[in-house]
Amino acid sequence: MNQPELFCPEFALLLGALLSFACAAIGTTTRTAWLVSLACALIAVGTSALALPYQGQPFEAGIYTVDAFSQVLKLGISVALAFAIAIAERQDSTRASARTEVHFFFYISALGMMMLVSATELLTLYIALELSAYGLYILAALHRHERLGSEAAAKYILFGAAASAISLYGISLIYGATQTTYIAEIAASGGSPLLIAGIVLTLAGVLYKLAAFPVHAWAPDTYQGAPHEASSYLATASKVAAVGLLLRVLSMAGSNPDHLRTILIVVAVLSMSVGNLSALFQKDFKRLLGFSAVAHAGYLLLGLLTFSKLGAAAAIFYVLTYVPIVVCAFLVIAAISQNGANPSIASLAGLYKRSPLLGLVLLVAMFGLAGIPPTPGLAGKWFLFSAVIEDGHIWLVLVAAVNATISLYYYLLVVKEAYLTPPGDRADIKLSPTYSVVAFVAIAIVTFTGFYPAPVWSMASSAASVLL
Amino acid sequence: MSDLPILSIILLCPLVAFVITLLLPESKATAIKSVNALAGLVSLVLSIVVWTQYDTTAGGYQMMQDIPWVEDLGIRYTVAVDGVSVVLTLLNAIVFFTGVLSMWTLEKRVKEFFAFMGLLVFGVFGVFISLDIFVFFFFYEVAVLPMYPLIAIWGSTRKEYSAMKLTLFLMVGSALLFPGLIALFVNSGGETWNLVTLSEPGTFSEGFQIFVYPLLYVGFGILAGMWPFHSWSPIGHVAAPTAVSMLHAGVLMKLGAFGILRIAIGVLPLGAAYWAPTFAVMATVGIVYGAFVAMRQTDFKYVIGFSSVSHMGIVLLGLNTLGVDGTNGAVFQMFAHGIMTALFFSAVGFIYDQTHDRDIRNFGGLVGQIPVATSFFIIAALCGMGVPGFASFWAELLVFIEALRVFPILGIAAIAGLIFTAAYILRVLGKAIFGPTNPKWDHLVEPTAWLTIPRIILIAVLLFFGFVPSIMLDMIGSATGGR
Repeated sequence: MNQPELFCPEFALLLGALLSFACAAIGTTTRTAWLVSLACALIAVGTSALALPYQGQPFEAGIYTVDAFSQVLKLGISVALAFAIAIAERQDSTRASARTEVHFFFYISALGMMMLVSATELLTLYIALELSAYGLYILAALHRHERLGSEAAAKYILFGAAASAISLYGISLIYGATQTTYIAEIAASGGSPLLIAGIVLTLAGVLYKLAAFPVHAWAPDTYQGAPHEASSYLATASKVAAVGLLLRVLSMAGSNPDHLRTILIVVAVLSMSVGNLSALFQKDFKRLLGFSAVAHAGYLLLGLLTFSKLGAAAAIFYVLTYVPIVVCAFLVIAAISQNGANPSIASLAGLYKRSPLLGLVLLVAMFGLAGIPPTPGLAGKWFLFSAVIEDGHIWLVLVAAVNATISLYYYLLVVKEAYLTPPGDRADIKLSPTYSVVAFVAIAIVTFTGFYPAPVWSMASSAASVLL
Repeated sequence: MSDLPILSIILLCPLVAFVITLLLPESKATAIKSVNALAGLVSLVLSIVVWTQYDTTAGGYQMMQDIPWVEDLGIRYTVAVDGVSVVLTLLNAIVFFTGVLSMWTLEKRVKEFFAFMGLLVFGVFGVFISLDIFVFFFFYEVAVLPMYPLIAIWGSTRKEYSAMKLTLFLMVGSALLFPGLIALFVNSGGETWNLVTLSEPGTFSEGFQIFVYPLLYVGFGILAGMWPFHSWSPIGHVAAPTAVSMLHAGVLMKLGAFGILRIAIGVLPLGAAYWAPTFAVMATVGIVYGAFVAMRQTDFKYVIGFSSVSHMGIVLLGLNTLGVDGTNGAVFQMFAHGIMTALFFSAVGFIYDQTHDRDIRNFGGLVGQIPVATSFFIIAALCGMGVPGFASFWAELLVFIEALRVFPILGIAAIAGLIFTAAYILRVLGKAIFGPTNPKWDHLVEPTAWLTIPRIILIAVLLFFGFVPSIMLDMIGSATGGR
């Protein structure tokens, strides 16, 4: 292994994993374990930011690639991780016996995700995929209400195992078609029908991570049943990794993406429509976010199905800005949840009065998801739609924009509950300093990128230009 | 002075007020109101400065400021004004300032109200001065969304339903704009979003223009209250609190008409020529239909709401003539209608705040009870009828002259619609303002001096441009090419 410095984001996560494990092993208090974990997460964010310009091949060429693409997504993953751990300050939705241990699983799965976005060889990629999944399987099961947790984890694992098996089968077909597992060589091999079939099957596992139709059904259940911080992590970090993985897998099609494009168009339209229409009827806030995540998987696919640099950059931009927006939503959930129960939409009533800051956070989250400025949701959709029109599918943009209108309805219902309904006898909410800081940081990132998308866009754009 | 980025300063006024409002505690209501009133005053003064600095003989876009925003996508923060934007910027500043003063007595959740209102005004200013399509659309969306909380929280009469209906209608408009606007960028070669560059003849083929134009026209038209997509507008008017009604009818609906003029017609003239007869018919239906429905209403605000549909129909008819006089008249009407409707709503709002009743049948002889307050209403009513001496007279005259020239039958129909307009306005005046006195309202009090000031400003503006329309037409004409 040459150039060990290329691994510094991964090393930071490994450090976090080891220290968290040590905390659990020697039985520190929950608070100490959390502080250690948070410190390591911030170090990870710092090193990821410093490692942005790195590039190289630390192993034999073609196996593990460190480039602008992988480094930008690693930054996204570590930011999502840090937010999730900060939200985990108040772990009252997590089983009491596991509150010290959870951090280890956060780090291990984040490590898997980081390896995932750097892996350019199919077996490495598959191992990283599994590594990232196992930590999440456990996190999903740790809700303090055992039934909820078991259901969340069972759905997630069963779907995950099936999807991963199909993916593995797809990988074997790809190997059969091209006699290689190196992505660059596969992409150059010219798209034989067998290769396309292999890619389509491999997509199953990837679309599952992204929570896209038809492998989306776990998302609402798992979002609902997992502890709040785990749901937040699933909704953000996992999505970033999925976009990276998807771009790698799709790049294997090389110069022959037409069949894949047709499939992705269908998947995108159905994800948007199914996600949005189902979200209209939800009462549980986390479940609503689960369906909204399915819809957003559809938007993300719009960028990917163009197979263009603009599309890839737009998808990366969208998922990077999606992270702080979704964090806002889960911050509200973690802060208002009582005894770890899932907040219903009705329980948001009077939030503007019970905690003006949280009310603002919720407003930013909902406007961000709906794509209303001054959040980057608008710029994100605008860039995605630009890529799709450049690719010649103006009707697809119309479908997506109508979907965005539908989604506005249920996002506004949430805003309405928080801003219109009087609080009644619901008590005021006092935010911990950590939560206040998270709130301000998330709002600051969202509004700054909303007004001035250029910095994040140039990161996304440089990431995409490595790939295509 | 010329180096000062005056347009950006105007744009920042409501944003600064918004930030300060967020930072002030809820209990400092007077401070919050003062900050916003000050921001309104500063932007008003600066808008007048822009008007006087603008060189009408040179025309074109002036006071330009151009900063790269997202460079490799060609998005630039480009702001500049032409004659039309100068007029509409002034309109927005007037309505912002007078709107804040009209809400001086607000007590419920003051902080949030002015925060949302500042955001809305910020968006409107941005739309009027942006030359980059992305930036334009960004501000457009900023302006639209605050309407939801503003109506849903502070409104009356089925406020939640109205707010949701309004927002979803406007978002359907945006859904049409998304593909339409982005197609302009992609089809022109994917290099610039600049409206001036895209407006150059020969950029787009005729087939493309005919295909995209209706997306843009209808997308913007929904916000302009075009028939048959107008139904959100009267309901929204009725539910909204006074200042929001003023902003909604006074400036927000103008964003739609401005979008049609600046982007749909400006960038796609061949598409506009192809579709103009169709959309002119719809505009005329709007004029007659709005006036006709207004005749049957019993609620003060519904009368004004439907009259807005009718008056915005005149704007759209003027735009669809595609002629210089028609366009001048349309822009003049946008301005006049903005001021007039603001006056209407502030007059009605004043009466409603005291009586909590807006049913015309429950009133009578108000002129004897509160002569000053009703005189504002009467003046707005006269202006709404297009009586000479008020700004709207010239606006409507120009539109009708051009309409008779281009679409004679529609022109006659639209003028016939004016009879209905006169009928519904005289009906309200005859019943509620004059007519037999209803002793139930003998206790009503006149507006205080503070509340009179904004209304006097509005009347002064209406009369000023009614008597010296040439100043206005010079300004608008410098952009449309006719003086």
